[in-house]
Amino acid sequence: MRVLVAMSGGVDSSVVAGLLKSQGHEVIGVTMKLWEGPNGEMPETGCCTAADSEDARKVAAKLDIPYYVLDYTASFSENVIDNFIDMYAKGLTPNPCVECNRSVKFDHFINQAKKLNCDKVATGHYAKIVSNGEKYELHKADYLDKDQSYVLHMLTSNALKKIMFPLGTISKPEVRQIAASLGLKTAFKKDSQDICFVGKKDYRQFVGTRINVNIKGNIVDKNENIYGQHNGIHEFTVGQRRGIPGGQGEPKYVTKIDVTNSKVYIGSKKDLTIKKFIIQDVSFVDKPEFSNLSIQTRYNSLAFPCNIREIDESTFEVELAEPTFGVAPGQFGVLYQGSKLVGGGRISSKVLEELNE
Amino acid sequence: MVNEDYFYLDHAATTPLRDAAFEAFKYAEIEAFANSSGGHSLSRKAKNLLEESREIIANYFGAAPSEVTFTSGGTEADNWIIKSSFHSKLSDKSELITTKIEHEAVLSSAEWVHENGNIVHFVSSDSNGVVNTHELLSKVNDNTKLVSVMFANNETGVVQPIKNIIEEVKKINQNILFHSDVVQAVATEKIDFHKYGIDSAAISGHKIGAPKGIGVMFLSSKFKLPSYFHGGKQELERRAGTVNVSGVAALAAAILELEKNITQEKMKIDFERNIFEEKLNSEIDIEIIGKNATRLSHISNIQFKDINSETLMIALDLKGLGVSRGSACASGAQKPSHVLKAMNISKDVINNHLRFSFGWTTKDGDGLRAANIVLSSLRELS
Repeated sequence: MRVLVAMSGGVDSSVVAGLLKSQGHEVIGVTMKLWEGPNGEMPETGCCTAADSEDARKVAAKLDIPYYVLDYTASFSENVIDNFIDMYAKGLTPNPCVECNRSVKFDHFINQAKKLNCDKVATGHYAKIVSNGEKYELHKADYLDKDQSYVLHMLTSNALKKIMFPLGTISKPEVRQIAASLGLKTAFKKDSQDICFVGKKDYRQFVGTRINVNIKGNIVDKNENIYGQHNGIHEFTVGQRRGIPGGQGEPKYVTKIDVTNSKVYIGSKKDLTIKKFIIQDVSFVDKPEFSNLSIQTRYNSLAFPCNIREIDESTFEVELAEPTFGVAPGQFGVLYQGSKLVGGGRISSKVLEELNE
Repeated sequence: MVNEDYFYLDHAATTPLRDAAFEAFKYAEIEAFANSSGGHSLSRKAKNLLEESREIIANYFGAAPSEVTFTSGGTEADNWIIKSSFHSKLSDKSELITTKIEHEAVLSSAEWVHENGNIVHFVSSDSNGVVNTHELLSKVNDNTKLVSVMFANNETGVVQPIKNIIEEVKKINQNILFHSDVVQAVATEKIDFHKYGIDSAAISGHKIGAPKGIGVMFLSSKFKLPSYFHGGKQELERRAGTVNVSGVAALAAAILELEKNITQEKMKIDFERNIFEEKLNSEIDIEIIGKNATRLSHISNIQFKDINSETLMIALDLKGLGVSRGSACASGAQKPSHVLKAMNISKDVINNHLRFSFGWTTKDGDGLRAANIVLSSLRELS
């Protein structure tokens, strides 16, 4: 097969390229350039740095495969960065990695692969594609510590047909071992955890310099008692403790953000607990499933048992078996049946309050 | 991949080393390796080779040997002329005029002058990629110190009306230093600097079959400019640093070859380029950039319909045909061209361009062969 491999310059995608090549596939490596400075310069931290594409190029040279850098900066800026800033301005908690997979990476990438007569695309994500030859299912990675299926929930059975995740059955230590045995220089490279376009900087500062959200306002409790002032609602997300005046006895959390009046509401952990919420713009891998469901409401957290009720074809009400806290509007609710990913959508803010009052 | 099997049509980026240049380089490194500034007989051998080579090179461009200083390439020569012209005049009233379609070496140097407080005019071009002479002349005044206009554009091959511009500029202010980046033009045009009235020029060896890392800064004896590199007293105290004698010898050898063969080379290149364009034009809907202007023989900038050239370039590379697209940034991603932007090419199609450039190794049938590869790639991509 001719396979287009997305190479970030990290160890995971390096190994994917190496594995596929050693299995006899014709591998073409590409780095998607997503983000650049105002004058076209490469970021210095995070992923997508000049050093990262340099690493990817070296790995491609070592594997003796063609390698290209594709420019997706315009699409990324429009779909991910603008959205990221917009979400904070609306008091929501964005997930740029999901947004990027959703509206930039896979669409462009699969399209590009098709044009270059590639049979499949492959990435270094930890997730598993299971198929009976007709239907394609997305499952959690065998190595649960690194499972990334959450950020891939928007991939439909049709898209999965065109995708390979060769790391779905391999553990991270094994990946490093393979990289070392292939002589790849990325074998012991540190994983990047930062938001690629913010890097080591504080995201609050990133947002603050880009839009005029620095409107001061009050921090209040549910009875409108004032606890202090804040420098802009973009510095807060629901469930956050940072930036709240202390000394109130039990720890306080952000419970709600009132954008119109620039007010940040705080309360106890109990006030954050909810049982019902709405997910919108929901997509399913195949068809909606309603039994034995659990839902994961942020990356790297547990999935909680739940039931869902259809409001319309892309909006669903989620009822948790047990009340929980830490459900942040803007993040994604991803539905699983055991290890199988069923679908997911964005957690809505408005209806959240109404449902839990 | 073996190079011989690869179909190279990116000669405007760099062209293969000529055999004579390679031999001259080898000879210089073995027989005349000594430092040309030294006092012993081996140094003299190197110095003699250097000066003989300088005469050959100067002669080809109608210049005096003393008007030729060797640099690391075209970029250094452009930087030197432009920055040094303003170095002692920073933030005074001196003005610089250049164009929006210059090579980055000129554009970025001009931006440096601007950032340091001088007035810099960037003149636009028309839709054929020809500099707007009327606009340029309207910017010339008593404070104009330097005008820099390239002889021909490196992305489109469009030749600029230099002679006319120089005449008109000098009528308004005869003290102006007129600089021209001739890097791309010399591949297929023989230029006599004094006949054109060009006061200074940047030349790069590797575009005409000499090695990379050797270039010429031509400066008319009517002008003096401060040094750009400081250190030893090489090159008549104009440019410090041990002189790259082997590079210079190779450049002289390449120029002798060019002088001998330029008519035939140009004829062949022109013929193959035209067949290439005619074949594409007869089969698909394309736009040939600058087709209504005078163009260098070796460059063909094609705008395709409905196909992003990022994809087409990869498809061609996978078929073993190497071409280029705009200028590459640090990561290797290809950015939309500032030249095409300056020509007001619509945003919808600005990413649909590829530059095919022929060169001295171009063979009979290359034009048709290239067109057929492009056509078959396009069929597969659609």
